[in-house]
Amino acid sequence: MITPEIRLDEVSKFYGEVLGVNRVTLRIPPGITSLVGPNGSGKTTLMNLITGLVHPDRGTIEVRGISPRNPEQLMRFTGYATQYDAAPRGATGYEFVSAGLLLYGYSSEEARRMAWKALERVSLTDAANRKVAAYSKGMRQRVRLAQAIAHDPEVLVLDEPLNGLDPLVRAETIALFREFANRGRHVVLSSHVLQEVDVISDQVILIANGMIIAEGQIRGVRDEMHEHPSQFLIRCRDASRIASILFEMDHVTEIKLHEDRLGMLVWTRSRQEFSRALTRIAGNGSPIDSVMAADENVDALYEYLIGGGR
Amino acid sequence: MINNSFRLRQVWMIARLQLRRVFFARRSLWVYLLAFFPAIIFIGHGIEVKIKRERWGGHAVTTPAKLDSVREGDTEEEVIAKAGTPITDQRFRRRDEEEPERRYMRYYDGTRQVNLWFRSGLLVQKSTSNLIDFEEDRQVYAGVFQYFYLRLAIFFGCLGIFMNLFRGEMMDKTLHFWMLTPVRREVLLAGKYLAGLIAAVVIFTGGALFCFAAMLWPQETAEVQAFWRDGGASHAFWYAAAAALASLGYGSVFLAAGLLVRNPIIPAAVLLLWEGINGFLPAVLQKLSVLYYVQSLCPVPAPMDSDTPALARMLLAPAEPAPAATAVLGLLAVTALVLWFASRAVTRLEINYSTD
Amino acid sequence: MAVYKRGYRRYQGHLTGYWSRLLALPRFAWSRLMAQRLVVIVMMVSLFWPLACGVFIYVSNHTELWQGLDRGFTRFLEINPRFFVIFMNFQAVFAVLLAAFAGPSLIAPDLANNALPLYFSRPMSRADYVLARMLVLLGLLSPVTWVPGVLLFGMQTGMAGWDWFQLNWKIGLGILGGFLLWITFVSMVAMASSAYVKWRIVAGGLVLAFFFVLAGAGAMIDNILRVEWGSLLNPTLAVNKIWRWLLGAEALPGPEAYEHAIALAVMAAGLLWVLNRKLRPVEVVS
Repeated sequence: MITPEIRLDEVSKFYGEVLGVNRVTLRIPPGITSLVGPNGSGKTTLMNLITGLVHPDRGTIEVRGISPRNPEQLMRFTGYATQYDAAPRGATGYEFVSAGLLLYGYSSEEARRMAWKALERVSLTDAANRKVAAYSKGMRQRVRLAQAIAHDPEVLVLDEPLNGLDPLVRAETIALFREFANRGRHVVLSSHVLQEVDVISDQVILIANGMIIAEGQIRGVRDEMHEHPSQFLIRCRDASRIASILFEMDHVTEIKLHEDRLGMLVWTRSRQEFSRALTRIAGNGSPIDSVMAADENVDALYEYLIGGGR
Repeated sequence: MINNSFRLRQVWMIARLQLRRVFFARRSLWVYLLAFFPAIIFIGHGIEVKIKRERWGGHAVTTPAKLDSVREGDTEEEVIAKAGTPITDQRFRRRDEEEPERRYMRYYDGTRQVNLWFRSGLLVQKSTSNLIDFEEDRQVYAGVFQYFYLRLAIFFGCLGIFMNLFRGEMMDKTLHFWMLTPVRREVLLAGKYLAGLIAAVVIFTGGALFCFAAMLWPQETAEVQAFWRDGGASHAFWYAAAAALASLGYGSVFLAAGLLVRNPIIPAAVLLLWEGINGFLPAVLQKLSVLYYVQSLCPVPAPMDSDTPALARMLLAPAEPAPAATAVLGLLAVTALVLWFASRAVTRLEINYSTD
Repeated sequence: MAVYKRGYRRYQGHLTGYWSRLLALPRFAWSRLMAQRLVVIVMMVSLFWPLACGVFIYVSNHTELWQGLDRGFTRFLEINPRFFVIFMNFQAVFAVLLAAFAGPSLIAPDLANNALPLYFSRPMSRADYVLARMLVLLGLLSPVTWVPGVLLFGMQTGMAGWDWFQLNWKIGLGILGGFLLWITFVSMVAMASSAYVKWRIVAGGLVLAFFFVLAGAGAMIDNILRVEWGSLLNPTLAVNKIWRWLLGAEALPGPEAYEHAIALAVMAAGLLWVLNRKLRPVEVVS
């Protein structure tokens, strides 16, 4: 039985003496998975390895049971929108998308229909007959996405797919990813715009210097970092009093009162104890309007993990 | 359903997609120029002959017998009395000489031109040459085909066409599009090779045949008809076959070079040198070249350049030409072997645009 | 913050000297080229022939080594303009090979990566850039052309004596001038090819093709049209005839040396036109 996941076992890739990725072991389930890391951290190498554009020096990779060394099988259910901003000379958007489809064995008529459908999904039908070379950056991004989704793949790999897209198209594109993920498909994307990853990802993989630093759901990853103080934003009417109670507790490391005296930002080492303390305070008659995790996003994780756990 | 027939369809599909880029790319223009340049020169030669024939034929044509009767030592008047009015008659005097003026006359007998130089009123030199010499032109064509087409045009043309298939796309950062299609790397290689081969064969075989036709164009009709009767078609066929097989062989070598090494100019330079010194090598080594087999197919042996130094002539020891079947099979075998190496290399090929 | 008000002001301080600025490019390029194994190998191989010629000069000047040999052989051992022309012909081929391997990496990457504006945003004009790049090639080709040539001439002078020098000093000048002419021309071909195709590898092939194909085309024109002017297209033959004229060696049949010189000048003008057309980025206006 084919496992519907992407598996990487002890995968290493070196470019001469330069490290690409080092001993990466991953299990990527269906859904939206974001690869997050600074430039040169190995995100693109990882995606190229998954799609067979480069081969690992060590380790094995399987995408839904198929080795990337077998493009004939792999690319039937995989689409990859790379970050390479080039297109074949003289090709129009439509030609760019439809040409590849012919190699899947589709008839010209089917390829034509599928190409138009893909172009429609990325809102590029108006410009389809213009040369790709004349496209703007955002349009080129979209035409690459159209090419990657044209054959309706089970696994969609996207390198910085939201780069250069205007807000409206960005929202449509994210919706497209979500739709793919909801159908039990893989959407693996990389991004350095952390906020957008935070919103759309089912899981994140944090990568730095070619090594995986953390993986899983954002909340789950966050929970594992006990030593890193969590931040909570509390809105309440008697902020000064509640702050003084909280400050007596060992797990609370810092409190900042809001200027309006109706809220505060609390740093705590223990989310559980903090939760119990708040329950007690509320039970003792101090009204608390709201409690919100202030750092449960990729930015905070990213800064903490990549930045060396400050 | 993936089977071999589907893969063959993929090969053809890749070739079709690639062909447009190979044939109509702006960077391919120089390949056409290489292939058709000799034909342009032959056409120029033909036009020159036709113009002369028309212009001289308009004058009174002197009979060959009359022209043969003209001897060195005859006076100007005697020559005119024997041969009549010349088609060209020029008198000139060198400024720095005190000698009497010289005179040059040209006669035309319908096929030959006879040039006469007079000094002090006496015929001092007589030279006869055909206005156009079919045999000589065939020799010239053989030289053009073997020295220009095989050693230069097809060599550099294939270098450009076949290296462009992988290395060129690596340079343009577009190779990954092919590698992200559901196609075996070997199928991709075969498709691209087929596209390059079709282009090279059409361009160079077309160029060589067009040049052959341009060579025949100004010749006397009777001679051309006799040539076709005496196996002229087989000459044309073997020239075409040699051009096609040269494209096949050089194409595979440059395709493999483009895959195996980052800078294919190095193997190209080595191959150019190897093919260049081919004639000087021992017979066994001569057989390890594309040129040896292709030249074996040529119907007319290439004339040796008159400028070749005596020492080089002495060292040149062309190996016995291979029989046609051996030459064709030998080239096909070499091509198959090289393509097999290329297929190994293509499966290991990685996208690494930054290093090119 | 009104950033635009800060306005750009060019650097007003002291500039380094013109030549020191110009030589910054060759300095780095030479060290990069010398790190390439292939360039070093070709350079090394190209020095074998001068070494053999040096041995020949040594043997030729030691009459005791070949006494008793027949007249034909002793004439063969004579050091004359013909000997130096043969020496130069061999080295000319190595100069082309070196230019084909090393030349294209000088301009093509700058064009392909749009790096020219970076150069010209410094106090450097297009002419300076071309000159600097040409200096790289001239510096690279010199050790395989005029340097060993002049050394061999010096060796012959040292062994044959002052009298020989008085009779043959033109050969020394011919070697120097002839090689400088050739390496300048070859450098221009390499740079123009590099600027024309922008792709390093193809540019290398174009350099080789320029010399080989033009020679072939010239011979073809001569043979088909039964003329002699076709050889004017052949730069290698052209320079050979010019060398023969400079060194006082026996002239080859066909067009005269001055006609070939004009043909070479026309080709050089064409190459300069290509460079002028292709190297057009933003330029600092002084």
